[in-house]
Amino acid sequence: MLSDDQVNEIIIELIASLIPMTSRDRIKAIRSQPRTMEEKRNLKWICQQAKSRKMVDKEKSKQSRRMLELNCCAQCLNSISRVYRRSKNSLSELLDSVSLWQKTLKVIGGKFGTSVLSYFNFLKWLLKFNIFSFIVTFSFITIPQFTVAEKNTLQFTGLEFFTGAGYFGNTVMYYGFYTNSTIRHRNGGASYNMQLAYLFTIGACLIVCFFSLLYSMARYFRNNFINPHIYSRGIAKLIFCWDFTITHETAVKLKQKNLSTEIRENLSEILQENVKLTLSQQLIRFSAHLAAWVVSTGVAVACCVAVYYLAENNSEFLKNHKDPGAVLLLPFLVSCINLAVPRLYSMFRLVERYEMPRHEVYTLLIRNIFLKISIIGILCYYWLNIVAQAGEECWETLIGQEIYRLLLMDFVFSLADSFLGEFLRRLIGMQFMTSLGLQEFDIARNVLELIYAQTLVWIGTFFCPLLPFIQMITLFIMFYVKNISLMMNFQPPSKAWRASQMMTFFILLLFFPSFTGVLCTLAITIWRLQPSADCGPFRGLPFFIHSIYGWIDTLSKRPSSLWVVWIYRNLIGSVHFFFILTLIVLIITYLYWQITEGRKIMIRLLHEQIINEGKDKMFLIEKLTKLQDAEKRGNTSSFTLERRDVEVRLEVALGSSRSVQEENPKA
Amino acid sequence: MTLGDPRSFCDLAPQLVPLDYTSCPDVKVPYELIGSMPELKDNPFRQRIAQVFSEDGDGHMTLDNFLDMFSVMSEMAPRDLKAYYAFKIYDFNNDGYICAWDLEQTVTKLTRGELSAEEVSLVCEKVLDEADGDHDGRLSLEDFQNMILRAPDFLSTFHIRI
Repeated sequence: MLSDDQVNEIIIELIASLIPMTSRDRIKAIRSQPRTMEEKRNLKWICQQAKSRKMVDKEKSKQSRRMLELNCCAQCLNSISRVYRRSKNSLSELLDSVSLWQKTLKVIGGKFGTSVLSYFNFLKWLLKFNIFSFIVTFSFITIPQFTVAEKNTLQFTGLEFFTGAGYFGNTVMYYGFYTNSTIRHRNGGASYNMQLAYLFTIGACLIVCFFSLLYSMARYFRNNFINPHIYSRGIAKLIFCWDFTITHETAVKLKQKNLSTEIRENLSEILQENVKLTLSQQLIRFSAHLAAWVVSTGVAVACCVAVYYLAENNSEFLKNHKDPGAVLLLPFLVSCINLAVPRLYSMFRLVERYEMPRHEVYTLLIRNIFLKISIIGILCYYWLNIVAQAGEECWETLIGQEIYRLLLMDFVFSLADSFLGEFLRRLIGMQFMTSLGLQEFDIARNVLELIYAQTLVWIGTFFCPLLPFIQMITLFIMFYVKNISLMMNFQPPSKAWRASQMMTFFILLLFFPSFTGVLCTLAITIWRLQPSADCGPFRGLPFFIHSIYGWIDTLSKRPSSLWVVWIYRNLIGSVHFFFILTLIVLIITYLYWQITEGRKIMIRLLHEQIINEGKDKMFLIEKLTKLQDAEKRGNTSSFTLERRDVEVRLEVALGSSRSVQEENPKA
Repeated sequence: MTLGDPRSFCDLAPQLVPLDYTSCPDVKVPYELIGSMPELKDNPFRQRIAQVFSEDGDGHMTLDNFLDMFSVMSEMAPRDLKAYYAFKIYDFNNDGYICAWDLEQTVTKLTRGELSAEEVSLVCEKVLDEADGDHDGRLSLEDFQNMILRAPDFLSTFHIRI
């Protein structure tokens, strides 16, 4: 423990370091100090007094007027920044108080822990995306269309909600209804070019999604960076990372029980780490893995072939039989595949044995992702290659209707799964086979379903501009359904789930392959496909992109907008620009990569230094105790000199080891 | 910090805490009431939390201590600050180091008697093996902070929602 003088010295040093900082940095530094509120207030007051006295002294020493004005400017800026900070704080307080579902999320986190909460936070985040997309598309595309809307001559039957066809085919819901004209207001007023508006709005939505995804990914990566050299499967993390957010009594008791089980498993794993497998056992394991991978890939490919075959035959079947309900067959099959095959994959667990449970989770995820991506991929291929080029009357509307039906069927299946499937599982677990107990919330599978739905929405917004609205309603309902089902039918998870690592992985997954796949699909549509001749904003053009070419041509005739044409021709349209840009990005990436490698080496060296310093300390302490004993017994002065020398060296060693340990986290 | 905090402090003991706090009376809410707050009542470490944040280490808190506690346990607090207070909470004998006895207390509170005595001591041994960087048989604040750096979940789990 430190003496009073040492404490005062530390405080004086701290104040001396705080005074020259700007007020913003000073507040940040004081806030991060581990002191009580009162001490922090006193520190702030002392620094303010010292600073104002310094400023009064400066004025007294008759500085030039310019310095005074500079001080005034600095004070002005300070007060502006203070006002800005205060308004930002009050705005964030306001947003927090109207934040959606805050109480519900708190209850979920309290009963089930951080990991299950991460699924619901992900859902909320996707909802924000869709709200933004809906607002943008509605204001810039749909509302102008309402002003020039034609009358809808079709009949309305109830089946439209499921098939999306019929009456809905002639509404703002689909691409085909939108006009290709330039909407003029009162003969000579402002004009609104529908073609450009359509393209630019969809483009703006996607660009905002892109940057938002990139920002979230970067933020999660930065918080979760773990140096792989010193990563350990540790027991220490289990002990020190108790979840303080759990507040429900039964949940706490359950968590304690699960923690004990996990500690026992961890202990036995550590004890078994030295056990090596024989060659035959390794071979058996390897062949089991290989067989499982072959079977899972085969099943995924078979499903894709079945979907493609059904899609092709379905269109012929529909031409012959005019039954409106028959269009639901394909979405039904796709949803059945999405329901059954992941559960089949989970059953492989009985055959395969993994060294670490983490590998099991990742393998299952990769297989499910491959299945979902290949299904979306095969459907996109079918739509873009067959439907778009079959010469149908309004192929964009047809694709939009298909996507609507897929989404709706997916939603219906999720509802049925939550209401019936999970309820039945609870009955079985509680009444019939009580050894099974309640089920646990499968976070990975549910998040993958959300990503699948969001991918479809992104692809479909071009063909069906109201799709974000439908997805918004879907997500809203899903939140409440999942919440109720969670409270009734599930128990908290038994294994510690690395929530933050998993969220990083899921957001990465959302970006690539999901978002990039969407961008590829839309790029192929816009650059390579011919719009239908009779409907939609791009009717009659040879390609969608020709609307932009036409616009650039009209702009180049106007002298005031030549800079736009210049940007288009020389920056966006030229290969040299992108080549140079890519080169610069690659160089910067390479430099950052080298810096990271250097830091890793430094961390390793500092770690070794800590261990060596510790050994030095132990050696010196032992020597000191030996000398002290000898001095007590022998009572000679020569031992005293040696003892003092060892004490000094020990102090130096203590000081340097503390500084090395402080350097280590900074590196 | 939200506006709700002084109010929830007053809700704990309305007969003790005057709603008008401008004259700064030196009111201390006893530990029994703090420990019965809905956010803390089932937490195995509630007694240690109250002791660490109270002025005299006895668990009775003033409004300043209360605000301190919730500001450190909120989402906004920096990681180093949280690590510092987590270290103090797990240091049961307040000697500035987490020794084997402190670890045994922590593990017992976490597992509620489910583990046998030799399993507990084995766990403590393994934790010291993993986290003790300078090999002095106990965890200093720097060892603890180094270990927390490798646990990205720490920020989200060392958090009490209001």
